Amino acid sequence: MAVKNAAKEAVKEKIISKDFKEYVRDVNPDKGLDETIARLTPEKIEKTIKAVIGGRSARIKAVLETCIHCGLCSEACQWYLSNDKDPTYAPVAKMRMTIWEMLKRDGKVDAEFIKQCARIVFTECNICHRCSLYCPYGLDITFIIGMVRRICFLLGVIPQRQFDQAQAHIATQNQVWMSQNDWLDAVQWIEEESGADFKDLRIPIDKEGAEVMFLPLGAEPKTGTYHLERTAKIMLVAGVNWTVPGKDTWDSSSMSMFVRDLVTMQRIVRGLYENAARLRIKKMMLTE
Amino acid sequence: MYDFIKDPTLYNLVRGPLVWIAFIIFIGGSIYRVKSFIDLVKKDKTIMPFISLKYTLRSLFHWLIPFNSVNWRRRPVITTVTFLFHLGLVFTPIFLLSHNILWRESWGITWWTLPEGLADIMTLVVIFCCVFFFLRRILAPEVKFVTFDSDYLILFISFAPFMTGFLAYHQLLLPHKTMVILHILFGEIMLIAIPFTRLAHMFYFFLTRSFMGSQFALWHTRDW
Repeated sequence: MAVKNAAKEAVKEKIISKDFKEYVRDVNPDKGLDETIARLTPEKIEKTIKAVIGGRSARIKAVLETCIHCGLCSEACQWYLSNDKDPTYAPVAKMRMTIWEMLKRDGKVDAEFIKQCARIVFTECNICHRCSLYCPYGLDITFIIGMVRRICFLLGVIPQRQFDQAQAHIATQNQVWMSQNDWLDAVQWIEEESGADFKDLRIPIDKEGAEVMFLPLGAEPKTGTYHLERTAKIMLVAGVNWTVPGKDTWDSSSMSMFVRDLVTMQRIVRGLYENAARLRIKKMMLTE
Repeated sequence: MYDFIKDPTLYNLVRGPLVWIAFIIFIGGSIYRVKSFIDLVKKDKTIMPFISLKYTLRSLFHWLIPFNSVNWRRRPVITTVTFLFHLGLVFTPIFLLSHNILWRESWGITWWTLPEGLADIMTLVVIFCCVFFFLRRILAPEVKFVTFDSDYLILFISFAPFMTGFLAYHQLLLPHKTMVILHILFGEIMLIAIPFTRLAHMFYFFLTRSFMGSQFALWHTRDW
């Protein structure tokens, strides 16, 4: 009982940012943020910030030098609207608390600040681009948020779950840590299982010259195999000449995109197109 | 210019050489800023390929006309204030009778002028819009949180020429000549400040809209 009460109180506990007194949030423990900041040094932080935004590309400059701080983007943001219009959830406020502060202090920020940035850009923004729709200038605010995500990614300060998925993509080109063996095995097993329902059901692997190449989401062969099964049934009934790639890079999701891991993002897209070129297919079909 | 050499008073200074300096810095600085920005855009190889004139114009059409985009319709007060403010800010100085007389005195050229009464109202509108923006910066929490000293500064830079111009026209507060000198000085400060502060949104507006208009067209989404 005592433990339960303590847990309840822990949830109610608030942290007030030392940089911005308006930024008050519940304490929300996350290994990926709390433990990783111990590895950071001021030099490392400064070097990373300067590497990502020091050069001030046109996209960054456009936002920095045009934004008139009018706050008209705020009502576009679902975070702002669903948190009683708390000003610290407004898109422009997220830039103000992250990148503007980094540039103002010329990259000389502490580890706690990076953790706070990571919390803002990873857990309080969906990168949905609605703010650009509401901004009178059409500024690309989400690009800026993405750059801050990249800084946090390079520093290794990312919410644990997101970090795990991003690493899965780095290692296996899919988000569920499936090796090529696992993937082929899962596909053949699903094909076998579904055979009870439909006589001629096939999931053709690496069929050259097929019209459609189907690219599932990582979870489909791993935890939601019925998705792949249903896709196979639909393809059979519709009479589509289709295939799935037998080599790596069959997962059409990109968790690397969410952390702005540019190298892996490129590897994923390149891998998908290489599979398409190798099998000479006409169309790629992405799930979801 | 010649008047100043002949009779170096403060009035002749702000009326002569400083006007030249202000306009040269304004025009030269603006060209420099836009040119260097476009060069930077070309360096980022992922922008130019999708920029399209058609979607740029479509985007501008929706955002330069009041109540022609979702956010303009959602915020009717701000939309009205901001459009009146910018119309007054840009067109009053260009078509003011007194300014036209100065052009004629210097270079012997004139163009259309606004009726004096209308110009007076437009000036007052700009002044009240500035007050509105100032109050909004203080009172609206989402704006207050992102307000810096520079925001007040650029608001003052746009406010001062209109306030002093209005006072000079009606000969209020300070002696007329002093007020005129202040007015000209603030006008010159504004011209010089445009390329080098966030007042540069005067031309960046068209570039950023071009970018987002083309970007959203690529995603088959409207950007208004």
